[in-house]
Amino acid sequence: MMLFLLAGCLMAMVACRKDYEAIPLEKVTIEYVFDKDDSLGTYANKFLNSIYSKLPGGYNRVGGDLLDAASDDAVSGLTGTSAVSQLATGAFTSYAAIADETPWAGSYAAIRAASIFVSNIDVSPVKEKLPNGYSIRYAWKAEARFIRALFYFELLKRYGGIPLMGDEVRELGDDVQVPRSSFADCVNYIVSECDAIKDSLRPNPVAAPELNSHRATRGAALALKARVLLYAASPLFNGQNIDPGNTLTGYTAYDRERWKLAADAARDLIDENTFQLLPDFKDIFITQHNSEVIFFRQGGNNTSIEETNGPVGFAKVARGRTNPTQELVDAFPTDQGLPITDPASGYNSNDPYIHRDPRLAMSILYNGARWLNTELQTFEGGQHRPGGAEPGTKTGYYMRKFMGRFENATQYSNTSHDWIIFRYTEVLLNFAEAENEYNGPTADVYQVLKDLRARAGIIAGDNGMYGLKEGMTQEEMRKVIRNERRIELAFEEHRFWDIRRWKIAAQVYGQPLHGMSILREGPDFSYNPVEVFRPVFTAPRMYLYPIPYDEVVKNDNMRQNPGW
Amino acid sequence: MKNLILLLLFLAATSLPLTAQQKSISGTVKDLNGVLPGTAVSEKGMPANGVITDADGRFRLTLKGSSHTVIVKLIGFASQEIDVAGKSAIDVVLQPSTQGLDEVVVVGFNQARRITNTGAVSAITGSEIRNVPTANVQNTLMGKLPGFVAQQRSGQPGRDASDFFIRGVSSLNSDGNKPLIIVDDVEYSYDQLQQINVNEIESISILKDASTTAIYGIKGANGVLVVTTRRGRSGRPQVNLRLESGQQSPVRTPEFLDAYNTALLVNEAYKNDGLAPMFTAEDLELFRNGQDPYGHPNINWYDAVFKKHAYQANTNIDISGGTEAVKYFISGGFLTQNGLVKDFSDPRNEVNTNYFFRRYNFRSNLDMRANKTLTLRLDLTARFGDINQPYNANVVSEVYNFEKIHPYSAPLMNPNGTYAFAADTKDKLPTINARLANGGYNRSKRTDFNVLFGATQQLDFLTRGLSLTARIAYAGIEQYSRNLFRPAPPPSFHYNPVDQSYTLDPRGNYRLQAYRVTGNTDLYSRNVNTQAFLSYDRTFGDHAFNGLALYNRQSYAFKSDIPANFRGFSFKVGYNYKQKYLLDFNGAYNGSDRFQARKRNGFFPAIGVGWSISQEPFFRDHIGSVSLLKLRASYGVVGSDVTSGNRYLYRQEYFYGSDYSFGENHTPQRTIYEGELGNLDVTWEKARKADIGIDVNLFRDKLSFTVDYFHDIRYDQLVRKGSVPNMLGIGFSPTNVAKTSNKGFDGQINYRGSIRRVNFNTSLVFQYFKNKVLFKDEAQPAYPWLAETGLPIDQPFGYTFIGYYTPEDIQKIQANAHDKPATPLSEYPIQAGDLKYKDINGDGVIDNNDRGPIGRPNLANTVLGLTLGANYKGFSVNLLFQGAFGYSFSVVGTGIETFQSQFQPIHQERWTPENAANAAFPRLTSNPTTVNSARTYMSDFWLIDARYVRLKTVDLGYQLPSRWLPRRLNNARLYLSAYNLLTWTNYDKYQQDPEVASNSAGDAYINQRVVNLGIQIGFK
Repeated sequence: MMLFLLAGCLMAMVACRKDYEAIPLEKVTIEYVFDKDDSLGTYANKFLNSIYSKLPGGYNRVGGDLLDAASDDAVSGLTGTSAVSQLATGAFTSYAAIADETPWAGSYAAIRAASIFVSNIDVSPVKEKLPNGYSIRYAWKAEARFIRALFYFELLKRYGGIPLMGDEVRELGDDVQVPRSSFADCVNYIVSECDAIKDSLRPNPVAAPELNSHRATRGAALALKARVLLYAASPLFNGQNIDPGNTLTGYTAYDRERWKLAADAARDLIDENTFQLLPDFKDIFITQHNSEVIFFRQGGNNTSIEETNGPVGFAKVARGRTNPTQELVDAFPTDQGLPITDPASGYNSNDPYIHRDPRLAMSILYNGARWLNTELQTFEGGQHRPGGAEPGTKTGYYMRKFMGRFENATQYSNTSHDWIIFRYTEVLLNFAEAENEYNGPTADVYQVLKDLRARAGIIAGDNGMYGLKEGMTQEEMRKVIRNERRIELAFEEHRFWDIRRWKIAAQVYGQPLHGMSILREGPDFSYNPVEVFRPVFTAPRMYLYPIPYDEVVKNDNMRQNPGW
Repeated sequence: MKNLILLLLFLAATSLPLTAQQKSISGTVKDLNGVLPGTAVSEKGMPANGVITDADGRFRLTLKGSSHTVIVKLIGFASQEIDVAGKSAIDVVLQPSTQGLDEVVVVGFNQARRITNTGAVSAITGSEIRNVPTANVQNTLMGKLPGFVAQQRSGQPGRDASDFFIRGVSSLNSDGNKPLIIVDDVEYSYDQLQQINVNEIESISILKDASTTAIYGIKGANGVLVVTTRRGRSGRPQVNLRLESGQQSPVRTPEFLDAYNTALLVNEAYKNDGLAPMFTAEDLELFRNGQDPYGHPNINWYDAVFKKHAYQANTNIDISGGTEAVKYFISGGFLTQNGLVKDFSDPRNEVNTNYFFRRYNFRSNLDMRANKTLTLRLDLTARFGDINQPYNANVVSEVYNFEKIHPYSAPLMNPNGTYAFAADTKDKLPTINARLANGGYNRSKRTDFNVLFGATQQLDFLTRGLSLTARIAYAGIEQYSRNLFRPAPPPSFHYNPVDQSYTLDPRGNYRLQAYRVTGNTDLYSRNVNTQAFLSYDRTFGDHAFNGLALYNRQSYAFKSDIPANFRGFSFKVGYNYKQKYLLDFNGAYNGSDRFQARKRNGFFPAIGVGWSISQEPFFRDHIGSVSLLKLRASYGVVGSDVTSGNRYLYRQEYFYGSDYSFGENHTPQRTIYEGELGNLDVTWEKARKADIGIDVNLFRDKLSFTVDYFHDIRYDQLVRKGSVPNMLGIGFSPTNVAKTSNKGFDGQINYRGSIRRVNFNTSLVFQYFKNKVLFKDEAQPAYPWLAETGLPIDQPFGYTFIGYYTPEDIQKIQANAHDKPATPLSEYPIQAGDLKYKDINGDGVIDNNDRGPIGRPNLANTVLGLTLGANYKGFSVNLLFQGAFGYSFSVVGTGIETFQSQFQPIHQERWTPENAANAAFPRLTSNPTTVNSARTYMSDFWLIDARYVRLKTVDLGYQLPSRWLPRRLNNARLYLSAYNLLTWTNYDKYQQDPEVASNSAGDAYINQRVVNLGIQIGFK
């Protein structure tokens, strides 16, 4: 009996050896993702997809608001404190950061994922070739490197020089006490990455766009390089370093040649002639892989932008979240291309929205504009600015850009809402700005502005100058380019950074922001600009973000930015 | 074996020559549960003159001396001396005791005697807790066992088991503080323990120090709760029947304001927020006089939904007995507990949506003697239970939640007999009674099945005192839930008394939808445990040895997971010299496969030493009243293999993520992403435990006490390192880095005695512990007061309340004066009457940097239990007062905050300019995230230092004299018992049970008070 029992125990012990696996095999490990027998790269491609999915999505990503609502272009429609109002008033510290605008951890997570891909993809013998005969493996690897470089740039524009992690994928217990690299080294690294990968990436226009339009292409690498070099040449980093002598916060000396590098980089892409301005401005944002889009992050086919930012007061709920300022509205010239301050412009302050640059109507909804088959009433107490519990716009304006063509529709329908990270217009404007800084207002610079204004629908005028003054000084031209950039790229997360890199944020944020109080008097309206928001900018420290507090205390080699 | 010794003594005694005086006395010996066969009854002064009670607990003794006193003795009970002068028949009721010198307590795979034990063990017998009217054994132990601390979080039938800990907590790892539970030497889970029927329990011990837990090695760091079940004894079949039925009622019934008072406060809050008042004077008057019950209803939803009492009943029958060849204990039990919700029966609805719990328990413990040296054992247990609750509804929370219903939202029923809905709320849900009547239920059906098959072979032919035991135990659990529900709420209408119109609710459910059923396997587990051990116990003259060598393996499979395996060797060596110098050496070498092979197995040694000073001749000869004075100490290392969540921390996994869509049709594409970094070095947590104790028995064991001081260091705790920069780019598994200390003392004092014929016993159980985080690898905080290192585990953090903002403060803030008080960055401007918090860093802003440690953790650090018992003839009374001190709790959201909770009397004591001096609550506001919100701004205004004393259990009984009983009965006892009968607390801010989980909405099913009537009958 006893022996039987003991034998039973022994059998129970022995039986376990082979019949049951010791580890959970259903859990996927890196060997499955980068499989040495996988000539299709099935899992590796899915891993690359996850890197793409980390790309920033733009739109209402900062506490429900656009980043531009923290610039002088718009304010948040939210009553009380919003993340963007904290951003615009400096209500943040290294310790209490604005979560959605502190991409430190997220960027390094993306950088790590890209490095894992770069270091491991060669394990899989992927056979597929691109139409140009290159192995798709090189393209994939280059795409991961592109995304990594893009995330370094996202960090660079916020923090200055940041720690460069290289290709190494660190494990728990490895040294992560990496010091910050100088601003110059970071720029050089990003540019060298762009140069290294541009020939491996898919050429433009991308083949089989229905499958691959979201991928980083040669054009994306060139556009990133142009943008990085433009930032590097800009006053904040080139000549007006907020901490002169600090290599982390910018270059220690001005070098005019940096403008040339920026101009050349932009010209390289323009000269490839692979992108064109799209004739219809509205279509840029709501049609997929059009001729102007260089690189984008997939959005959805939905009504989210309309519901979040559309005017209140319609049957279908919309939250009117983004309220453009009077300052932005006033930046749009008239349809003759003349600033509204020009007596010849034909601007009428008692009927301010007629005869304006058509981009105004395509970017901003104002009182009397058509929307959802209705003439918008954003006058005080109007249907779309009712006041009370759900007050509607603070400024009298709503954002129009990015939305579908709902002027005459009765309700919103699904619209493609990709977030465009690089579009051709920006490259043209980058070129114009850099070229003007290096060579002055050359014919090439004028041509960029004329092309943009022609596409926008501004009247060419008898002289074919679209309202541009002939023979402008470099100074005058700079002002025009900056204004053109502001209105053309409004709400696209440029203005917030532009006023910093131009080092004019202290002046810009020094002024209160205005909205338009419109009173209805019978059939007529009276227009009175009123103050709606007072930003606060502490120079020089707010030109760069503080390194998150935790990162400084956890890393002995980490240096905080000046003033934080 | 003990019986055998007594029998020998008896035989020896009866062989003595008889002397002159002869008087015969007969009687019956019982405890509270029935007759006690095998009890030794002897004459005082003539120890040789004694008898043993028979199978019915009866004895007959002829007295020969002149003391007229008999001594009644049985292991496990306090002995009694009874004056029998002038009597010929007596009934003796013995009280259980574990304090005698020879009493044994169950420790791991073994037993320890009080006189020779070197470890820290506390024990009680099952009979001490059998009459407590609760479904769960763990609810009965706090205040009874020193070192045991428990919190009952909920009173819901079937889900009311307490969380419990032994000597508090010492791990930062959230699941890492649960004690190991051993039932008949087999590991049980928490929820298995609560399925056990208390009627089946013989004894419960808790093992607290390293000396007693080292045998469990990698699972011993949190202490061990050891349960043994009852087994048969030789003798005629003894049948025991217990019938109990009782009444549950809430320990504390929350009080809410009526419609009129609520409306007043709502108007005031709206005024404070700059809004127009919600109610006109006319409305208020109608609320007050109740003349418009449909237009201006006034419903106390608590009273409308809950009954005052609910029924519970417990029936148990057990049969035990046996012969030399086979002994058996067979029992069955049925427990039912009903819920407190009223019966909203609806003609169209025949299902029970109320809370309830039904449990059936069966056990058969068999011992068989196969031959002279081999005994076999087969234990079979099955438990079936159903837990019922309303589908998808926490009724307490519904009643508390002001956003869902107001006192004036709706009438209970419309005048035409239809249901109403809360027309003035956001959700506009049908009233609670409508949904309870028609909503369906969620029912968990659970089956537990346990088998233990074992054999013990005496190996005396090798060497005397050696035996080999082998066991295989199986435990299976299945739980399947059935949800019967309607896909949409029942039809409901808003009645307008002005035009007598009915409006259908906005969801437009005109039809009552048909029921639908879903189901799910919640639990399916299988646990197989194989054990084999050699044990040795032999005395050579003055030298006594005992030893144990154990091989143990366990394989636990949960649902589709691969089994978790545990394996190891344990040993125990004990030696004592004349019961005077005691030495124990315990250890285990074991491990579990949740760690890498090279990090899997650990060696856990512990040593225990003791010195029984009372056994020394110099002591014994001079201080006779001290029967036991023993000093003992133990030290050792034990482990804990709990890894919260992921079982395989050393493996890095890649996961499928949410799809990334691309292409013209936004086609979703799968993504794979990297999971947390594995920790290749992950291993078990360790605890160095030191314990010093003293055991004293005085005055013939009448007074005894035990005190232990302990100091544990828990190290290599698995926490996520806080010092790794985010530049690593990925989350990572916990690492063995954290370290805490836990020290304190626990013990108990017992006194038993008698005054005339009244026997009484008292026991005071006490414990105190204090833990501290020594290291947890947190990132250096911005300010020193934000650091958690150096503070107790689970220390709450929050703001410091320094009064209310005064109107002068507000003037200064508006004038931006240099001495203006600090204010939070809130979207709502500060007003007079808001809670003012201390600006610790002095930057003029109240923000996260001003949060510091406040109050204490939620687990009481001091527990007292006072048991008072007495019996006179057949009457007995037993009270347990239990106190818990040194803890904090807070209630947030729907439990207290205005416009989230129903208005409560405390809200009437809000701050107003007139009541500024006596305010007990901030000004009223309808805004949810102001500085007055407990959820947004936790502070010591909300976190209260609590303490309570409870009359936890009461047992009043009367045992009918044997002579009254019919022939077939040998025992009958009537008793009245109670649980949570009275509670004294020190707070009035919250209308909550003191065992509420901190920082919760206070919406758990309210703990129950139970008053119970029972009868227990023993058949021959």
